Amino acid sequence: MKTETPKNREQKFAYYMDLLSHDVLNNNQAVLGYLELILASGVVDKKTRKYAEKAVSHIRTSTILVDNVKRLMTTRDMDSSELKPTDLMVAMNSAERDVVRMFPDRKITVKTPSGGPGMRVIGDNAATDLVLNLLVSMVRLDPSDAITLELKVSEQIVQGRECLQITLEDPTAQMPRMAKDKPIEDAYQEDSSIAVRMVGILYCKMMAVMLGGGFEVRELSPKTEPKGAAFVATLLKAGEP
Amino acid sequence: MTSVLIVDDELFIVELYRDILQLRGYKIVGTAFDGEEAVRKYSSNSEKPDVVIMDHRMPVMNGVQATREIIKMNPKQKVIFVSADVMVEKEAREAGAIDFLPKPFRMDDLIEKMQKVSAQ
Repeated sequence: MKTETPKNREQKFAYYMDLLSHDVLNNNQAVLGYLELILASGVVDKKTRKYAEKAVSHIRTSTILVDNVKRLMTTRDMDSSELKPTDLMVAMNSAERDVVRMFPDRKITVKTPSGGPGMRVIGDNAATDLVLNLLVSMVRLDPSDAITLELKVSEQIVQGRECLQITLEDPTAQMPRMAKDKPIEDAYQEDSSIAVRMVGILYCKMMAVMLGGGFEVRELSPKTEPKGAAFVATLLKAGEP
Repeated sequence: MTSVLIVDDELFIVELYRDILQLRGYKIVGTAFDGEEAVRKYSSNSEKPDVVIMDHRMPVMNGVQATREIIKMNPKQKVIFVSADVMVEKEAREAGAIDFLPKPFRMDDLIEKMQKVSAQ
């Protein structure tokens, strides 16, 4: 009998994860397609349309979750030297388009900073996914029908390394209480009822750390109501091309 | 009327494309469930489709290989590659695919690509 090495086991695991993710995406495609057919049929009343639009946004979120699993699988063994630079402006603009499409039942406005040179971070496609996950996670925390999100980018020196800090603010988001009182991982494990809303935040933190940076969440205005929320992701700055 | 050959190993995906494309006025001239079947049907049918919608991960022969074979038979054939594997886009385009759509996509995106490709 052939002995299975840890490396073989790892490869087999990655292979099955990939196959399963692929099948989930295929099924998401079918659900999304038929929902779009229902919405386009012209015989859908307002209430049913709203339900179908909500289902569309959940299918799109499900797709992002699968992509996150795939991304974690491919990024976990890489170090930052293997990752290509990502233009943050391109990532933010693409994420803005995607998040607006993902939630057809909401009116989402995303304010992005005006572009400039030097807005490149180390992170490859993972950084692009991270920006989209920041936006999607924030929308999931906001019960409003009309949501205004604002993205800001600033330069920071963290532990002697040049970084770019991406701050996403939403004045009407409602952060789960535990998320602001405890480290995200602890809050996630303690109360599974908030898991669905927290998983995106947890992913953002995990990915930002994997890319050599950091992540934090905080209330936007702790003394007023609504308190809102802010996500701050720090990523390593990439050199100029 | 633009004619289409649909290639995907998942029956429910083939049915989905067929339902949507027929509703939008496209003519489905054939379906295939793997790359080899696609190449066989493509070469045996005298009437070639205007557009081939090609999946990648399929048994027997994958989408990139099938695209390569079809383009070898007819360099002008328009192939729209659709796949959940975004990493395969470069390879698909090198094989001769004219466009690429990552799954899952909006049906309007597919129709938009079909119109763009048909007009070229």
